Amino acid sequence: MTSKRVKKPSQERAELVERLKEAQRHHGCVSEEVIAALAESLAIPVHEVYGVASFYSFLTTRPLGRNVILVCKSLPCHLKGAEMIMEAVAKELGIGPGETTADGRFSFELTNCIGLCDHAPAMLINQDPHLDLTPEKIKQILKSYK
Amino acid sequence: MPQQRVVLKNCEVIDPERIESYLAKDGFKALAKARQEMTPEQITNEIKASGLRGRGGAGFPCGIKWEGARTAPGDIKYVICNADEGEVGTFKDRYILEKDPFTLVEGILIAGHAIGAKQGYIYLRAEYHHLLQHLQSTIDQVTQRGFLNGFKLEIREGAGAYICGEESALMDSIEGKRGEARYRPPFPTTSGLWGKPTIINNVETLMNIPPIILNGAAWFSQMGTERSKGTKVFSVSGDVEKPGVYEMALGSPLRELVEDLAGAKNIKMVQIGGATGRVLPAEKLDTPLAFEAVLGAGAVTVYNRSRDVIDIVHRTMEFLAEESCGKCTPCRQGTEVMAEVLAKFAKNEGSLKELQNLADLSSAMMLASMCGLGQAAPNAVMDSLQYFRGEYEKRVAS
Amino acid sequence: MCAPDHSKNINRVGLFSYLIVEKKISLNINGINVSARPGLTILEAARENGIDIPTLCHIPDLLPIGACRLCVVEVAGSRTLVGSCHTPIAEGMVIQTHSPKVIATRRVLVELMLASHPDACLICDKANICELRRIAADLEVGLPRFRARKHYFPVEDENDRMVRDMSKCVQCRRCVMACKSQSGQPLFSMAYRGFDSKVIYGNDQPLDRDACRDCDACIEICPSGALRKPRKPGEERADKALFIKG
Repeated sequence: MTSKRVKKPSQERAELVERLKEAQRHHGCVSEEVIAALAESLAIPVHEVYGVASFYSFLTTRPLGRNVILVCKSLPCHLKGAEMIMEAVAKELGIGPGETTADGRFSFELTNCIGLCDHAPAMLINQDPHLDLTPEKIKQILKSYK
Repeated sequence: MPQQRVVLKNCEVIDPERIESYLAKDGFKALAKARQEMTPEQITNEIKASGLRGRGGAGFPCGIKWEGARTAPGDIKYVICNADEGEVGTFKDRYILEKDPFTLVEGILIAGHAIGAKQGYIYLRAEYHHLLQHLQSTIDQVTQRGFLNGFKLEIREGAGAYICGEESALMDSIEGKRGEARYRPPFPTTSGLWGKPTIINNVETLMNIPPIILNGAAWFSQMGTERSKGTKVFSVSGDVEKPGVYEMALGSPLRELVEDLAGAKNIKMVQIGGATGRVLPAEKLDTPLAFEAVLGAGAVTVYNRSRDVIDIVHRTMEFLAEESCGKCTPCRQGTEVMAEVLAKFAKNEGSLKELQNLADLSSAMMLASMCGLGQAAPNAVMDSLQYFRGEYEKRVAS
Repeated sequence: MCAPDHSKNINRVGLFSYLIVEKKISLNINGINVSARPGLTILEAARENGIDIPTLCHIPDLLPIGACRLCVVEVAGSRTLVGSCHTPIAEGMVIQTHSPKVIATRRVLVELMLASHPDACLICDKANICELRRIAADLEVGLPRFRARKHYFPVEDENDRMVRDMSKCVQCRRCVMACKSQSGQPLFSMAYRGFDSKVIYGNDQPLDRDACRDCDACIEICPSGALRKPRKPGEERADKALFIKG
């Protein structure tokens, strides 16, 4: 028995989701090149990698900005005025949901429930939570992301 | 009835960053008892006797699940903690992970001992990435103190998919695949993760394990109702003065939770169990919160009289249509059709014929869908049609 | 005794091999007592006894897919209907394959498939052999009660062995499964999710010239007009039958 840990194919395969997320962190999105490289290194077909990447909402094949804003649109946030937050973000950045600023600083997305309903309305920026939002707070929060 | 804190007993009491603080509150005594004084069979029997049922929504008896995995043939077995709470309006697991991750890890280790597993995973939803380091630090501290005893515990993070809270989809996701529901049988207890016997338990379910082991099944089963033992942690949000996490004995009336504890006023309706949950009108506030009545995973969203039922149900269905995995026909097609029909009602363009069609569609989705998502997807539509039919009829195109 | 490995295509008898015991299993299907070999699914046991259950995703001898749900049946004691293509028979099971509840459910399922299906049967090359159309006719489904937005995808006709029209796909996944079982390098996967799910090739690109080799397995089992062989006018059709019932 050697000390070197040999991974079984199934264990390597299990890393696909994690590696896709890692690639997205580095490259801003899961590009065709990323998919091809992952398919090659994990020895699985390109379409299968694409199939996994397109399943999860936090993965995207569309290039995103440096900072990704996810404003929650689900009911508990909606009841507490999520629309006003969306408007404030849109006004501040000059873009609508699904868009990226021209300078590549922000992408603005809407998301389903992020489990911060006791502090609604809420959003995630680069997966950091921002709670109990008001339209007034948005400017200050966005300032801190370069 | 005041709150009764069993699951949350350490929350806001201990320092969740320091294991010493947990040890000072009898931390890991249950694990020591389980490993030194109890056989795996005695543990599963104790959990069975306690009447503990799964807290993730389905309410399957925990002890029976554990016994299935314990007696299943095979040397390699897995314990999975489901920390993928994605149901709209639920955040109790986030609160638990923030405030008392140690009890959870202790629960996982007892489960591992009970079924003979050497490996465990905590499947954390990607939306809770902000808890990843905190949770890893918990595992590191537990490891340094030597409590793992050969058990390997890893965190696996999701990537944004509500359906991965469904146990079979969750396992596919851990395997690096699309998180799609699997048909059963085979059940996870005999053929789960990588085809090995596996138990998947919700965070809150596992939180109940250490106190049951320490205090005994009889102590636990004193709380709750005949068919729903113990307490339940509720996530209360929406039109309430004090949104937050509350723990009550099972069987407590909904009214006490939303009015007395959370301070709701002028209630029109309450959605219990999130997007796949039930909808109750204000007249039904005395309904007990229990598996035999309404419960789900304990997400309670309150709507006051200013709210529009059709808008709420429409948004609920849009959520489900976006989050359906798409594998089986009734859920993939049915949620989309429903969302489109409800959009018409929201625009005052509904028709009476479509109301009847909604009922037939609901029934087929409940009967034929492969997993719990599709089966429970029509709940909000069916309940609102029962209690608020007039609101639909008002939105019929003239 | 060994648990099944879901990652591989294995013979379906192997899937439930851990349930195999010596004795034959007695069960009751539609009021008639029958016995069947252990390890069979409800669908297989029914078919062995001359009862036909409709299905659009089942492929004999391959791992069940369970996606279309048309094969659902009533099993006494079960809260929901049960997918017969993937549920193993068990001793004493009482099954209804064509009860009013089952038929009503199957009708809705077909209507749901048709809800987003192009209304193009008149000019569809596979109209005369379309399984979806045959089952709709059998179940006497007329104009579907439900409507959903259509999927419009351009017809992929670059490949000279296969034409793909994903607007007509019912997402049964037979092609994915069949290709996987036939070739060392499967062509298709499922992509996206929910109503937007789609069987894709490559990075969701049209089937190109070199994509497919020669087995035709996926074309033969495609239950709708999504996959077909290229055919010029005047060439012989696959079947003369035309479904007109319903």
